[in-house]
Amino acid sequence: MRHVGAIAGRELRSLFVSPVAYAVLTLFAVLAGFFFLSGILQFQEYVLRLQAFQAMEQLQELNLNDHVVAPFLHVMSVVLLFLIPGITMGLFTAEKANGTQELLLTSPITIWELVLGKFLAAAAFVAILVVLLAVFPAILFLYGDPEIGKTAAGLLGLLLVGLVYAAIGSFASSVTQSQLVAFFLAFVLLLVLWMLGFLADLGAAGGAVSNDMVGDLLRWLSTAAHFESMVMGLVDTKDLAYFVVMAAGFLVLTKAAVESVRWR
Amino acid sequence: MIEARGLSKRYGDLVAVEDVTFSVQPGEIVGFLGPNGAGKTTTMRMLTGFLPPTDGAASIDGHDIFSDPLAARRAIGYLPESPPVYPEMSVEDYLAYVSKLKDVPRRSRREAVDRALERCGLADVRRRVIGALSKGYRQRVGLAQAIVHDPPVMILDEPTVGLDPIQIREIRTLIGDLASVRDGKARTVILSTHILPEVEAICRRVIIMSRGRKALDAPLEELRKTGSLEEVFARTTAREPAALEEAQA
Repeated sequence: MRHVGAIAGRELRSLFVSPVAYAVLTLFAVLAGFFFLSGILQFQEYVLRLQAFQAMEQLQELNLNDHVVAPFLHVMSVVLLFLIPGITMGLFTAEKANGTQELLLTSPITIWELVLGKFLAAAAFVAILVVLLAVFPAILFLYGDPEIGKTAAGLLGLLLVGLVYAAIGSFASSVTQSQLVAFFLAFVLLLVLWMLGFLADLGAAGGAVSNDMVGDLLRWLSTAAHFESMVMGLVDTKDLAYFVVMAAGFLVLTKAAVESVRWR
Repeated sequence: MIEARGLSKRYGDLVAVEDVTFSVQPGEIVGFLGPNGAGKTTTMRMLTGFLPPTDGAASIDGHDIFSDPLAARRAIGYLPESPPVYPEMSVEDYLAYVSKLKDVPRRSRREAVDRALERCGLADVRRRVIGALSKGYRQRVGLAQAIVHDPPVMILDEPTVGLDPIQIREIRTLIGDLASVRDGKARTVILSTHILPEVEAICRRVIIMSRGRKALDAPLEELRKTGSLEEVFARTTAREPAALEEAQA
């Protein structure tokens, strides 16, 4: 496993040489700022309205975590749906385009080292995004008193969602020669995964998914429910296991896809 | 050094390489010849572990490519048809990265990179970005990548393609040096090319491939007795005997 660091390091450096990394970082920061600000303004307006109506009970229940941090994290998890494919699209396609795949596959490294190195680079980028994002809730701590545990659990949830997305993006990049195809394939896979829960609910309502097993499976597969419970402050091993299983599953698929180059 | 026994590569019904057997001794420089599509690149890719053979076996420096693939790959320096470089990296960063991939011990990495830069005449451009280099320099970077870990076996797929005559002469001299005995170790080079004079200039032995099979394997001196290399090449790789007679008439 000693080559993983070398591969990840090179990948990260080349990511930061390309404009893609900066485009993604900029877009992410701008969108985060926008959604955070609009969340705060809505919250303020809501507080003022409740005060005007003297709705003391509802005012008591109002808190920064549920009404500012949670919606903010939800929106940003949707933003990650299309930003992470931008980061992962080049992971393996660029090696094919450069012809450096031949260098990697004739070097004394294992395919696992290659796949994990690539994933680690994408994971590090996701971690940078989450750290960047953590600045916004941190501002709330200066002016209010949100719960630190709940906020941290939500950010951890976003990080885990991002890692699963990165594993799916790696897979998409490993099955095609084209960055564009890799981007859209990853985006579509992520979108479907994100919507599975809704699909199950729709199916149940329409009677198409009468089998509860199928509905439950779809809901379990979807990232939404697991992320939701982490945003609410619940760090459950069942949810953690879900993220690990999903990421590992797509990395296994990636490894198989990279290896298949040899057999074609 | 290199042992290939009955190597074959088939894609469904399409036969790319069929039953190729040869062995190369330490210190030999072997020219791998053949028309386009004869299976040269495929054979080289099988030896380097990039493509698994459908049939047959091979070993590099005593390591079987199936049972001990990592050790076999460690013993090879490989220059593919197009140099496998990252355009956004600088020459020395790239070579340092390759030396990590090829398991050069940490403390001798710097030295290994400096030596490869020196030998391939890249010292002046070491901090330049590869994407900004000319084709000739990029080819040299590809060659430097193949020798950075000082491997006992070097497999070079058309090492002088796209170079000007002076660069070609330099690269030929370099390849001649590569196989010479250093530190009491003899090294082996296999190179494929379309340039017949190149073979005459640096190789002592010739293997000619034709339609996926090994058509000829002989020392260069022996071939010279029967005619020029060009005649031998044309005779060995002729598609149809009738067509050859026609051409000669």
